[in-house]
Amino acid sequence: MTYLKSRRFIASAFTAITMLSITRTITGNGDLTSTVTIAQALVFASPIALAGLAGIWAERAGVINIGLEGMMILGTFGAGWAGWQWGAWAGVLAGIIFGAIGGFLLAVAAVTFGVDQIIAGTALNLLALGTTKFLAILLFTNAPGGGQAQSPPIKGEIPVFTLDSIVVPLTALHEKEIFFVSDLAGLVAGLFYNMSLLTIITLLLFIMTSYLLWKTAFGLRLRSAGENPWAADSLGVKVVQYKYAAVVFSGMLAGLGGAYLSIASTIYRNGNTAGRGYIGLATMIFGDWRPGGTAAGAVMFGYIDTLRLIDTGNQNVKGLILLGSIILFAIGAWMLRSSRRNTAIGFLLLGAVMVGAYFSATSFPPEVAQVAPYITTLLVLATASQNLRPPAADGVPYRKGEDH
Amino acid sequence: MSESSVAVELQGIWKRFPGVIANSNINLKVASGTVHAIVGENGAGKSTLMKILYGMQKADEGTISINGAALVFNSPSDAIAAGIGMVHQHFMLADNFTVLENIILGSEPKSGGKLDFVKARKLISEIAAENGLAVNPDVLVSELGVGDRQRIEILKVLYRGANILILDEPTAVLVPHEVEELFNTLRDLKKQGFTVIFISHKLDEVLSIADEITVIRQGTTVGTVNPHLEKVSARDLAEMMVGNELPTPASVGNTIQDQVVLTVENLSVIATGGKAIVDGVSFKIRAGEILGIAGVEGNGQAEILNALMGIESATGKVMFQDEDISKKSTRHRRDLGIGFIPEDRQRQALLLEAPLWENRMLGHQTKAPNAKGFWLNPRGAKADTKRIVAEYDVRTPSIDVNASALSGGNQQKLIVGREMSNDPKLLIAAHPTRGVDVGAQAAIWDHIRNARQAGLAVLLISADLDELIGLSDSIKVLLRGKFVADADPATVTPQELGTAMTGAGRAA
Repeated sequence: MTYLKSRRFIASAFTAITMLSITRTITGNGDLTSTVTIAQALVFASPIALAGLAGIWAERAGVINIGLEGMMILGTFGAGWAGWQWGAWAGVLAGIIFGAIGGFLLAVAAVTFGVDQIIAGTALNLLALGTTKFLAILLFTNAPGGGQAQSPPIKGEIPVFTLDSIVVPLTALHEKEIFFVSDLAGLVAGLFYNMSLLTIITLLLFIMTSYLLWKTAFGLRLRSAGENPWAADSLGVKVVQYKYAAVVFSGMLAGLGGAYLSIASTIYRNGNTAGRGYIGLATMIFGDWRPGGTAAGAVMFGYIDTLRLIDTGNQNVKGLILLGSIILFAIGAWMLRSSRRNTAIGFLLLGAVMVGAYFSATSFPPEVAQVAPYITTLLVLATASQNLRPPAADGVPYRKGEDH
Repeated sequence: MSESSVAVELQGIWKRFPGVIANSNINLKVASGTVHAIVGENGAGKSTLMKILYGMQKADEGTISINGAALVFNSPSDAIAAGIGMVHQHFMLADNFTVLENIILGSEPKSGGKLDFVKARKLISEIAAENGLAVNPDVLVSELGVGDRQRIEILKVLYRGANILILDEPTAVLVPHEVEELFNTLRDLKKQGFTVIFISHKLDEVLSIADEITVIRQGTTVGTVNPHLEKVSARDLAEMMVGNELPTPASVGNTIQDQVVLTVENLSVIATGGKAIVDGVSFKIRAGEILGIAGVEGNGQAEILNALMGIESATGKVMFQDEDISKKSTRHRRDLGIGFIPEDRQRQALLLEAPLWENRMLGHQTKAPNAKGFWLNPRGAKADTKRIVAEYDVRTPSIDVNASALSGGNQQKLIVGREMSNDPKLLIAAHPTRGVDVGAQAAIWDHIRNARQAGLAVLLISADLDELIGLSDSIKVLLRGKFVADADPATVTPQELGTAMTGAGRAA
């Protein structure tokens, strides 16, 4: 089992690097796989990954968490407020606590009162947005360096590591532009360049989640609350308590994701989350409600975001278009084999259109890259939805003793 | 009963729900080491009573004693701790979990914080071997059929060390040889000293397995009989249950007309893996004819039905009267006058969280009395729902309650009533009386027979072989997606049919 899993991981990593490498070679754009790009992609990916992980926790226990965005907003605010006064680590802690409060509110509405979970989550998002805006005006307006919509700078910082002994030679190797080898070097070097302790914590949280939810009795019970709470109840599992624990912990993770954002930009700013809670939700679906796939989805979003933002000569987005078409061709070809003709042809056509666009246009507006992750998620949902295995009782209000 | 000890004693149990008294003054004594059956009509309060005994619901009044000690159950955990286990009518299994995960959930073996899968697998295979309950612990439950699921439910209970087993209508979903297997298991368990409480309304089965039988009518216990000591027939029990005589599904006369209603040629359904689940079946049904399909569940019945309704894609030709409907939408097929009673009423036939009258509209939402042109007509639907409730004896406090509030049998009556409305020309029915008690069963049979007289063609699938033989004009046996034998309902016995269904021999 683990052998198969690790083989699959290596195979998909190999495919991904090959595709990147082909794109880099055709476009001649070294930025696509450079050390800096990868390092920055991880910074962008982490908050999204934490939101996705938060989604896994809540939804595995059967509570749809649209409120992720609101919990993240609470986290950004908590980190800005506490970080300004007591330093970055206090900011992280406050972000987690504020997120937990958001989680608790959602749990009260969705679990105890059985409110429609989409509506409860949306309400939480609006509540968090309004409350933080109000508190920002109240607390930050007259603070030195603060304003109506932003906090004063966060004091101190979270340690960041760079391993020169690895980064320097690999970056040099990257610049040689050898097919595959240079790209792999860039990717690996990116992991050891400006690596934040918070990113490492994020990674550890993913590993911890895989272990807790799939290897322990606690995890089995928690997931049973999302699969068939009535069955769980009939076996003496305290469903409500597990749902509460899951949703509050979900809030903590989302809050940490928000804190990450504030600390990365050294202040709290209104609207800093910019919908990352929803993107986190999308990565969770992309990843089939599992940590590994969710992390991969988050990295994809982070990578595309990075290319868009460091795009100097307007060439990165073009590169992305080509990369997208290569991926579409690959999926299309694979689908042709598995006899899903119509979808396969659709993919190949779309890929052809994108190649045409790549060769006919000199540059693309950055907004194209902005929507790319969403289009990718839609494509994944459209093609893989039959193979996705969401928790069976996700979003279903549970009342003890009631029949289903 | 006097010499053996009492395992379970219930005294003066009352349970009221808004609008309904589910249990009124229930008194019950179950001797340990026996199989004690509880029989009663749908909605008589059997399931509620068992939920109270299992701690899922609390009685308003009354006492529960287990092995002589008075106990109060606040949750199933308390009941489990007292040695009670329950096999629910609707299986309590998580489809996305493996068999192993479903069994150990709530009482997991651990080694240092981690789930001990090795130990769990060993424990399960030990218990399984002791009781002859073969299962593969590592498959997903979603891949298993009902027989397997029930074995898992029993294993779940045994795994928790229960010595009192409650089985809520365990045979409702099984075919005859599976029932026989279950009964052998139960007899084994009895020999090992387990006490079994067996809830059913299938009286022949009850008589063959039970040491004692308690009858519940309208929420109260009306008597207990011991079939070993006194001579009791199914008819006697039925009379105790409903005060009616026992109906039989005997088909009256031949009503087959010349006109062919449904022609199916070379119908195949291919699974995603490329395996043919339905493999080139062909048949015809004429007006006034009931064609029965016998087969062990999972041999392609469900797929044939879904293909005929256009729910599942299939190859081959389906003709309705003179029209080729192979490529037509489900809506079109329904509008032609095809009624459909699906296998799984909760998944395919009902919106559990919608009121009865909205459920009445389902599948018929384009026609009177549910629609007036473009607009829905709730008033018409409500009036017609009242008619169905009266004609089919659906026991419900009102037509505004959600379908989930009805017992399984009453849900089924509502579905049958709905599908028989609007004068269908063809009825595709799977287990039309599954989970329905004797009284209502007879009524449903009468409705089907009357419609047949008027020219209704019926494709019937049923796990109840008496029903299949009694109603059908001809029977085909389905095995692994192919028709392997024909049987004449006038001469074939359920045993012969059961044998043919497993592929062991040929029906007469």
